[in-house]
Amino acid sequence: MPDPLLEISGLVTSYGPIEVLHGIDLFVNEGEIVTLVGANGAGKTTLMRCISGVQPTKAGTIRYAGAPLARVPDHARAGLGIAHSPEGRQIFGDLSVEENLALGGYHRTDDLSPDMEDVFTLFPILKTKRHLAAGGLSGGQQQMLAIGRAIMGRPKLLLLDEPSMGLAPVLVDQILEVISTLRKRGVTLLVVEQNAYAALSIADRGYVMETGKIALSGSAGNLIADPRVREAYLGA
Amino acid sequence: MSELLQFVLSGVTVGAIYAAVALGFTLIYNASGVVNFAQGEFVVIGGMTAAALIALGVPVIIAAPLAVIAGTLVGIALYRLAIKPAGKAPLVSLVIITIGASIFLRGVMQVVFDKQIHRYEGFSGDDALRFLGATLLPQSLWIIGGSFVVFAALAWFIGHTHAGRGIRATASNRFAAVLVGINTGRAMNLSFALSAGIGALAGVLATPVTFTSYDAGVLMALKGFSATMLGGVGSPAGALVGGFAIGLIEAMTAGYISSDYKDAAAFIVILLVLFVMPQGLFGRRTTERV
Repeated sequence: MPDPLLEISGLVTSYGPIEVLHGIDLFVNEGEIVTLVGANGAGKTTLMRCISGVQPTKAGTIRYAGAPLARVPDHARAGLGIAHSPEGRQIFGDLSVEENLALGGYHRTDDLSPDMEDVFTLFPILKTKRHLAAGGLSGGQQQMLAIGRAIMGRPKLLLLDEPSMGLAPVLVDQILEVISTLRKRGVTLLVVEQNAYAALSIADRGYVMETGKIALSGSAGNLIADPRVREAYLGA
Repeated sequence: MSELLQFVLSGVTVGAIYAAVALGFTLIYNASGVVNFAQGEFVVIGGMTAAALIALGVPVIIAAPLAVIAGTLVGIALYRLAIKPAGKAPLVSLVIITIGASIFLRGVMQVVFDKQIHRYEGFSGDDALRFLGATLLPQSLWIIGGSFVVFAALAWFIGHTHAGRGIRATASNRFAAVLVGINTGRAMNLSFALSAGIGALAGVLATPVTFTSYDAGVLMALKGFSATMLGGVGSPAGALVGGFAIGLIEAMTAGYISSDYKDAAAFIVILLVLFVMPQGLFGRRTTERV
């Protein structure tokens, strides 16, 4: 069994004096889709931010591709193959769709145009809006743009935070399909979702977070069947 | 008629200087959200350094670039020593830091240079050109040409270079810029350097016409700031248009009302902008959907 692509142990972080993650242990193997589910405020987004480095860690380690990330500054992590499509989309609102995508490949020095065509194939609506300011797109289109921008970095590890937030069901399906496509290409994915059923239905494994801790973990199938998960997150 | 033309020419000349100052404000504001009140000091450092070097016998072709470099270095020092260490301090604190820096720089200039008013000969001499009954100093052409060259060069840099795109992305959304791999600290450092360099260049070009002294930066910054407000905070095109507009308004006030009220014109513009159209001529209208 090779080392996991991402391995987190004993991770602690805080916002000011308030500790929000209390010793998280989690791993993601290469080629896996792993999902993090849990209620609002459980610390899912914070955990994602620790991995991309925009949230400093207080204790514990994050290892990526066999090496610790502690000394890698936040802006250098994209270059290592970690792409983060953040909560709230965080697009470059006053720049065009095309410029947003090009910035997703900022750390690359090779030709970006095949990747841009690829994103336009995955999300055809973005192609028709390519010259428009991203801030004028609808919420769902902005979400596609945020995911597309992350894909432009040719990530090995893609962090998707709430990719289905606020989307119409037909768009949720489209995004789940893109996630499966990316996995077939060898991208490893860590996906945060409130829509636990959708997330677990495409994932290999899952973690359930509660108030800054991992409450449960296991294969996606076991979690979907687990009565505690069904009761708390699947509304069954 | 020739009177009006005379006022227009002098308005465009000072307007080009205000435009350069406003462009400096815009660059730093976009990258960091800070309104840099030490912007006027960059202009004075450029002018005073060039004046001191020229007085020492250094030819202007060497003194001018050295003065621009001096201003740029002060801009980098301002970022590294004062803004960056403040870290994630609230914006108001950062703005107050720049006010402190501006007072500090004025004090240093009194010691390093002196309290006298300085000028040096225009780059192409001081013989006025006659133009449809009005007169124009050849240095005015240097100032106006210089500000357009700076604007074009900056537009090219921001739009077409890797570092420039990093500045643009940082200005648009700093958090997202970090996620896509942009070193936003470096982008801000570069913004301060460019802004200070542009300010110092404006000072070097302007001093033969406007004269300079250690404390000339205060008024320069306020005029540049009202140009920024009029053009729309954050908009480079607005900075250019706002600069020329303030210069013209000032020249018309001086010519047709009284030169006593010349400096008041810029402040009246600030008030009118705030009352009537707070986003300025080219300001961002917040249309972003959330």
